[in-house]
Amino acid sequence: MVTPAIALEEVFLNYRDVPALAGLTLEVQPGEILALLGPSGSGKSSLVRLVLGLVAPARGAVRLQGEAVSREGRILKPPEERRLAVVFQDLALWPHLTVRGNLEFGLKAQGLPAAERNGRIGRMLGRLGLQGKERRFPGELSGGERQRVAIARAMVLEPRAVLLDEPLASLDASLKHEMLFVFRELLKERRLAALYVTHDLREAASLGDRIAVLERGRLVQTGSLEQLREAPGSEFVKALAGDLFWMGGSRA
Amino acid sequence: MSFWRRREESLVVGAAGLALFLAAFLPLAWTFIEAAAADPPALRRGLAALKAARPWILLGRSLTLAAAATALALLLGVPLGLLLGKTEVWGRRLALALQALPMSLPPFLLGLGWFYLFGAQGFVGSEASRRILFSELGAVLVLGLAFAPVASSLTALGLWGVDAALEEAARVVAGPVRVAVRILLPAAWPAVALAALIVFTLAFSELGVPMFLRVEVYPAAVFARLGGMDFAIAEAGFLTIPLWLVAIVLLGIERSLFRRRSFAVAGLRGRSAAPLPLGRLRFPAAACCWLATLLLLAPILSLAARAGRGGGFSAANQWLWPSLANSLILGCAAASLLAVVGAVLGHAAARRRPGEKILDGLAALAFLAPAALLGVGLTAIWNRPPTRFIYGGPAILVLGFLARYSIVAIRSFAAVLAQFSRDLEDTAAAFGAGYLRRFLGIVLPANFRGLAAAWILAFVFCWRDLETAVLFYPAGWEPLTVKIFTLEANAPEAVVAALSVAQAAATALVLALGFLVWRRKAPW
Repeated sequence: MVTPAIALEEVFLNYRDVPALAGLTLEVQPGEILALLGPSGSGKSSLVRLVLGLVAPARGAVRLQGEAVSREGRILKPPEERRLAVVFQDLALWPHLTVRGNLEFGLKAQGLPAAERNGRIGRMLGRLGLQGKERRFPGELSGGERQRVAIARAMVLEPRAVLLDEPLASLDASLKHEMLFVFRELLKERRLAALYVTHDLREAASLGDRIAVLERGRLVQTGSLEQLREAPGSEFVKALAGDLFWMGGSRA
Repeated sequence: MSFWRRREESLVVGAAGLALFLAAFLPLAWTFIEAAAADPPALRRGLAALKAARPWILLGRSLTLAAAATALALLLGVPLGLLLGKTEVWGRRLALALQALPMSLPPFLLGLGWFYLFGAQGFVGSEASRRILFSELGAVLVLGLAFAPVASSLTALGLWGVDAALEEAARVVAGPVRVAVRILLPAAWPAVALAALIVFTLAFSELGVPMFLRVEVYPAAVFARLGGMDFAIAEAGFLTIPLWLVAIVLLGIERSLFRRRSFAVAGLRGRSAAPLPLGRLRFPAAACCWLATLLLLAPILSLAARAGRGGGFSAANQWLWPSLANSLILGCAAASLLAVVGAVLGHAAARRRPGEKILDGLAALAFLAPAALLGVGLTAIWNRPPTRFIYGGPAILVLGFLARYSIVAIRSFAAVLAQFSRDLEDTAAAFGAGYLRRFLGIVLPANFRGLAAAWILAFVFCWRDLETAVLFYPAGWEPLTVKIFTLEANAPEAVVAALSVAQAAATALVLALGFLVWRRKAPW
């Protein structure tokens, strides 16, 4: 039996006594891209913060490759020790660091020697077409370039899993399409487990190997695009099924 | 992962908290410790001092004086802040910048300036004007005008923070006056109320102006027992008990009305609405604003004229440089320490770390408590043989400044961090960076201008301080403000005026430097 890369076991999370996640159980297998789909306020971003270790579950446990990292109100492993990478919606590129500085920051935190850092950064910049931009600050880049830097910064760490919290929400359709392709290619060639959070069905369908639907902090359905279309598990999924019909049930 | 690395944040915040505890909590708590441990004769003397009618009369006078000065400062400052912050008055930014100068000077210096104008021998003075100046009314006028820029600046800052959409939605359906009175001012009320609290606190603590104008106030009665013939530290301790009540009430107001809001005072929006049109009122409004600004600057101009007329600048040299150097050294040392403590605790406050409310509350209490309360406690705690090396040197002043002004650094850095996306730190944490690496590698460099602003603000507070330093300055370490205060009765007027002008000029230089740092664009 394969140990899941990310596992949430009966997780409850409250924000000021309001439940954000209620008894959630979820697994992401190694090399799998799980698209987490849900409307605003469904608890998607709370789930990302929980897996990262920025908040502790009130009840339940979070495991990474079988190891319990948060359990019953306690963070057993702080975020910096979890070997995860994240891309937030606002990308969170450090404005005072150059492109190179942004990529190097996490590698230095890992204590990698300079030669190894340089090698990894060079390869990643080349892979994402960012050569020649190393000395630029994020404010000097275009929207697409910033997006690439955010991906490069996450991938260069060679993490054990990547969390993507609506990273494409602010992009136009053509750039979004291009970035979805880049994401999928990079994640698959590295066999990385990924949790891709979105409220956009098209993104979820394009990128996810499976889609998990979250509503009011509860997981209402998990399955492939086809399974969701054929047997919708809630009114929300049923409503989405209309869109699925127009999409013809295939990857956009 | 090492044991220490996991506890980096607790250790660093704990160290900053310990510094604050030593500097502020111990002296503040001393009053109670001393009262509890007092021997029967000391207890009798202390209680007798409190039972007498005189202290309570003085307390009532101090409270009335502070309230009246606050009312005057708001009456002048709020409309001025509204006009300069939100309307099309010509030169409004310049006027606001100029008002920063009197705001950054000890009110005592401005009192001197008014004296050179309206004293019996003043430029436009007479016996009648002298009588008014040397009275409770004179003290209210001097303090109210000295603190009016606090009200105007905070009102303008609060108005700039109002969402432009709120204002524009109102502009569509109402005229500028209605928009200003019904929408803008109510939206900016936390800033106005904060100004009222700050002005009241500073006016209540004020020693220099009442002592100079021969108006007896409560803090002066405590001060009298800290030095000279009337030295009675235990009695001073008992006399600080009513000051505790004042401090607790002020802290209660601060906690219930502002705390988180005060973080957002500096939360200026990226987009601001166009200035409110004044139409036919444009010229009279501009004239009023500039007249008011001139009124606030008048005492500084008076000081310069007095110094120039009596050859004060050349005669002041022997006192100027040592005191100026003291002020500079003490200000830099205290501001640097305050910036470190403020950055650590401001970050903890902005990120709502455990214990931050207690530390923030302690820092607020040390600022809101009258300086005399803190001064008595610091003297009693540190003026002992084993700690004489601290009490007898500049360290005691740095400790005093740390206690009194840490809230300035904490709140200003927390306000900066409130605009700083938390995702930037969380991403760094996810990428393997521990607290120190995140703090030193991301938080501080990305907010360098905010940190510099906190340093300069802290420096200005230490630089202008008189009421804290005058209570326990060690020999040879008088800051310039204290030197002017002590020379006022004995040195020629022109010399005192020249020293005051030097203080004002150096302050202007610091403010200009701060302005340049703030204006300077980040390289990214």
